[in-house]
Amino acid sequence: MAASAYPPPPPYYRLYKDYAENPDSAPAPPPPIVGTYTSFGSNYTTDDVLPSLEEQGLRQLYPSGPNVDYKKELRVLNRELSFQFLELSDVLVERPSQYARRVEDMGLILRNMHHLLNSLRPHQARATVIHILELQIQRRKKAVEDIRRKREEVRQLLQESLSALHGHMNVAQQDGRAMDGGMAVALGDHVGRQNNEMKTYGFGAAQTYR
Amino acid sequence: MDIIAQLQDQVNKIAYIAFNTVGSLQRDAPPARLSQNYPEPPEPSAEALATINNEPKEAAIAFMQGVKQFDALVGALPLSEGGEEAQLKKIAELQAENESVGKELQDEMQSAERELKQLRELFHMAADNCLRLKPPS
Repeated sequence: MAASAYPPPPPYYRLYKDYAENPDSAPAPPPPIVGTYTSFGSNYTTDDVLPSLEEQGLRQLYPSGPNVDYKKELRVLNRELSFQFLELSDVLVERPSQYARRVEDMGLILRNMHHLLNSLRPHQARATVIHILELQIQRRKKAVEDIRRKREEVRQLLQESLSALHGHMNVAQQDGRAMDGGMAVALGDHVGRQNNEMKTYGFGAAQTYR
Repeated sequence: MDIIAQLQDQVNKIAYIAFNTVGSLQRDAPPARLSQNYPEPPEPSAEALATINNEPKEAAIAFMQGVKQFDALVGALPLSEGGEEAQLKKIAELQAENESVGKELQDEMQSAERELKQLRELFHMAADNCLRLKPPS
């Protein structure tokens, strides 16, 4: 079935006939695959690792180990490539039939350079994560500061408004003006709590005068 | 384009120059007399001669420029000290800091939303009081 050009769909759909009425009647989905698997005739692996040069059948020209000096090794390979190119030019003039060895050496150096550069990608990925996290922390800290500042500004504005209202009330009372029934003034007295919790305020809007 | 992609491009460019130069030099080279039994080959034209004289120089210049450019790009690589362990440790520290700052931000947001709700209620009360005023007699 897997080898035909247009294989039929898998017959698993029959198991889900009564799924709407009884979800437990159908089998649970298979667990995620770990390791190698075959898909459309090709082998794949869930373990994404850069294959080493030995696994690709090539000779590694730089020292292996956990702490490779990438810059130094890349420069060494670069110089070696220039030297091999000169050797190739020399061989083509003096002994043209022996060009193949030099071309092969140059190809090996180029493959080693590419492998070194590919090995830098995980380092680049980690550095990108670090940079993104730093930016995120910076943005969050700025947001916290902005919110705190704005809350403080709002509190001060309310305090000033309340003080101004108190002032108006006192002036009106001193002038002997009556505060008639049409007026709706309900000044709260919960101002000034030390922990900046603001209770309900009622703001008077206007007064009528006798 | 990030620097590693630039480096990879540069390696490909150097390889292209190196391998294609030799081919084009061989293609444009004038015929050589292999033996005394063969007649002298004809002289190349002036144009062909100019090409033969200039091509190696241009190829050599292009190749060396590519090599120098690669060296400069390698010098610009921002590689940090410490390797993988140091980076993973730094990531763990930053994640912890990010979480604590995130929690702080969430608390501030909740407090700000609470205060905003209270202010809205106050404003509605004030507006209602204004609307319920009796006109002056």
